[in-house]
Amino acid sequence: MALVSNILTQVCISLIAVAGVYVLTGLTGMFSLGQAAFMAIGSYASGLLVVKAGLPLVPACILAVAVAVAVGYLIGYPVVRLRRDYISLVTLGFGEAIAALLNRMTSLTGGASGLTGIPRKTTLLIAFISSAAAVCLTAFFKTSKYGRQCVALKGDELAARAMGIHVTRIKMTAFLLSVGLTAYSGCLYAFYMSYVDPTGFGWKKSADWVIMVFFGGVNSLTGSVLGAFILSALPQALRSLQNYRYVIYAVLVLLIINFKPSGLLGEWELTPRNIKRTAGRLRGRKKETGGKS
Amino acid sequence: MKKVLSLIVIAAMALSLAGCGGSGTQATTAGTEAKAGTEKQSEEKEAPAAEGGEILIGCLQDITGSTSALGMSVQAGAQAAVDEINANGGINGKTLKMNTYDTKGDVTEAVNAYITAVTVDQVKLIVGPPVANIANAIKETSEGYDVPIMGLAMDPACQLKEDGTAYKNMFCFQPSATTQGEIMAAFAVKNGLKTFGVLYNQENSYSVSLLNPFLDELGENGITVEDKLIVAYGAADTDYKTLLQPIVSAGVDAVYCPNYTQQLVAIVTAASELGYEGKIIAGLDAAPAFNTTYGGDCSNVYYINNINTEDGATAEKAAAVEDKISAVNKYFLGYDIVKVAEKCLAENGDGDVAALREKIANISGFSGLTGTINIDPNTHMPKDMGMFMYTYDNQTPVMLEEFSN
Amino acid sequence: MSLQIIINGVATGAVYALIATGFALIFNVLKFSNFSHGATMMTAAFAAYFVAASKGMGLAATLAAAVIAGALIGIFGEFVGFRRITLNHSSPTYFFVSSITLGTLYEGLITIKVGSNFYNYPGFFTHSSVKLGSLVVSSSDIMMLVISITALAVLAYVIQKTRLGRALRAVSFDRDTAQLMGIDSTRIIQLTFIMSGILAGAAGVFLGIKYTLYPSLGSLVVKGFIASVIGGLGSLTGAVIGAVLLGIVETILLSLLGSGYNTIATFAIMLIFLLVRPQGIAGSNIQEKA
Repeated sequence: MALVSNILTQVCISLIAVAGVYVLTGLTGMFSLGQAAFMAIGSYASGLLVVKAGLPLVPACILAVAVAVAVGYLIGYPVVRLRRDYISLVTLGFGEAIAALLNRMTSLTGGASGLTGIPRKTTLLIAFISSAAAVCLTAFFKTSKYGRQCVALKGDELAARAMGIHVTRIKMTAFLLSVGLTAYSGCLYAFYMSYVDPTGFGWKKSADWVIMVFFGGVNSLTGSVLGAFILSALPQALRSLQNYRYVIYAVLVLLIINFKPSGLLGEWELTPRNIKRTAGRLRGRKKETGGKS
Repeated sequence: MKKVLSLIVIAAMALSLAGCGGSGTQATTAGTEAKAGTEKQSEEKEAPAAEGGEILIGCLQDITGSTSALGMSVQAGAQAAVDEINANGGINGKTLKMNTYDTKGDVTEAVNAYITAVTVDQVKLIVGPPVANIANAIKETSEGYDVPIMGLAMDPACQLKEDGTAYKNMFCFQPSATTQGEIMAAFAVKNGLKTFGVLYNQENSYSVSLLNPFLDELGENGITVEDKLIVAYGAADTDYKTLLQPIVSAGVDAVYCPNYTQQLVAIVTAASELGYEGKIIAGLDAAPAFNTTYGGDCSNVYYINNINTEDGATAEKAAAVEDKISAVNKYFLGYDIVKVAEKCLAENGDGDVAALREKIANISGFSGLTGTINIDPNTHMPKDMGMFMYTYDNQTPVMLEEFSN
Repeated sequence: MSLQIIINGVATGAVYALIATGFALIFNVLKFSNFSHGATMMTAAFAAYFVAASKGMGLAATLAAAVIAGALIGIFGEFVGFRRITLNHSSPTYFFVSSITLGTLYEGLITIKVGSNFYNYPGFFTHSSVKLGSLVVSSSDIMMLVISITALAVLAYVIQKTRLGRALRAVSFDRDTAQLMGIDSTRIIQLTFIMSGILAGAAGVFLGIKYTLYPSLGSLVVKGFIASVIGGLGSLTGAVIGAVLLGIVETILLSLLGSGYNTIATFAIMLIFLLVRPQGIAGSNIQEKA
């Protein structure tokens, strides 16, 4: 039970980050290889504010997210103006720079030994509510005016601009939303692990999140959430297979990308109407097969 | 409408946080609940052990990831000890079984692995990793459970809380970084080395933890190392020659390199390409298989080691595993931990975990292959444990001197 | 002293160049960043170690083995990871996801094989370095520079002067039209992956010589990525110039600022460069498309 709740908590925490990646990659089509660095900022900032500055938890988290969004604004300025190919490079370099900074500022961050002594506050309930709220927020964003504009400029930036969409501003909005979500997931992470070190926030982690989004369905928020669930729980379920488990993980993702490129769920979203429709279709099929036999 | 909704959602997020922030007591009750849960579990687990006649222990190591070579060596040594114990009739007639849990060299993974071990498989104790970051990550979590971790993390912070008391489950079975750094410095001074440069990996906690003890000990002997000769590097740096340049051109007697084997090989290669002729003082990681990995003449390398290969029994065992194991000293550390565990488990019999912890914390005079192990019950780390300084004659290790601190 | 640092920088740049060329080649044709290139280098280097170097064969045999292994891995990767995506005309992001996963796969397989040991190539050179007065250049760096330049020259010749090269450029420009003109674009893509694999094999051996062999050796692909973006995506000449510049700038910053801060400074310089000259050094003209 402790294990299940531990894994679920972690899955919920990464779900928040994946929701952020969905906004960025799924909706807007931007690729960030430095997304995990914002998680690092979130967890270090909130952890430091509580440990060193003695702030209570909530203001510390709010401040940490604000710090991350401010940094995100600075990085976002070039990111939303550059060609898409370059976004991944700039964010990658940014991630490396943050990791270097965390390692170098030993007196503040503990350097390579990590930041210890963060109180353990995150429980499964908090993580679950937070992730549900993050997913709802993303869903609202997707169906809002902004979300539709994001999808439009993902399809064709030039056409979107011609239609009067303020491309840089929309991109920036999406970028900042994703930064905020990722940073918040970092806060929860810090207060769950009670220890942060600079190693786990490299570009591989950002890439993992992107893979989760694609695995579940890049055009579907439900799919992305499902992808995050499956792919973060999978390595735990396969633990007994020892070092074969990452091979299996890779093979599975390759299969999906090759044979169901739109991801597990394609464009399907979990909305009341879709559920009704799918249920209806299932019932219809049952009737059909029943009639045949 | 949507705006209102999103505001509500954000408010919900903040509130859920506030819920946990305001209620420090809630967290503690959760903690006691967890404890009660594990107690219940520990009652449950004793029953099958008696029936099946099996004692299950865990081995938490980096089987994949950047330090996999170390983890696999510890694991192999521990497994060898388990096999040996079982061949001699097990512990009090029960067979010993060891499960290995991969931490992937990642702190989140390590916590998952740890919780799997203690809650799903309900291991009696855990053979811990030689990596400080992993120990740091699990030390807080381990407080909530009753499974001792007999590890090798030589950074004292892994065993001790900020108030100086020990984490109840965390133990270390090799001399601390402080001891090792001091020994290396004392050795260097004794051998007439006067000027030093340092090249260390600032992104690696092991490397960082060995830095200050060495410098402090030098300081006590009236030697200060110039700031510009203390050079840090990180994973992103690929050019060791540029890093070594100022040290080499200062013409120092020795370079202190507390780094992992692979980087050490690259550094020693770069130093020799630069025509560096002084000594290189390295930590445990310059022990074999450093010599064969490097492949060249490493007569100028001094290193510290846990094992004495001049000792007959040790040498014999070392020779038997040398071809299969990359870090022979880690193999022996793993082996010794399981041997200590055997002693404690046997003496403890059907006693509870608290008694087992007490046994581990008070081990004294245990003669293992890595020296005599006396655990200090206050720090959970060994005291008066000998280390050995070595060098190479071309590629053959030569033991120079035993140090104990 | 400072000349020595430039030399070190060029040597580092030569490694990056070898990585970046193979990287840029794939980008040139398929318009995506092939992150499996790093794992390909590493796998080829290990294959060469087991087939040749550990049996006491020299550098030439090891390089040959690595090049063959690289080519095979390249063709395998194309088939497993990219063939269907190419045929489906999916967006480049699918290539990206597929390539990273492919890299994870290779790394996982190699870890299973080599896990518990350290590996290093035996010393291939009788003199590990050459001294010119107070300057030191290591033999492997010189060798690497020579091989990078040769490989690049051969590649440039193939692309510019041969039928194959023309077909490759045609496919790179517009796959469908090329197909209509009677070019078997699948075959051309296969060949591109083979060429890229050959470069990966050579790069892998030199990385192994410089940094020893370990499963995550391929993470240096990031440097190749940066170099090829700075160089102008898809341009081979640009990638090489970008790589050498990156090597020199990194080394100078390292000696001036020390580790850590140099990474931050490199990032800042890169950012400014991209804002000032977004088309990269070579200024290749890839259409503004997703």
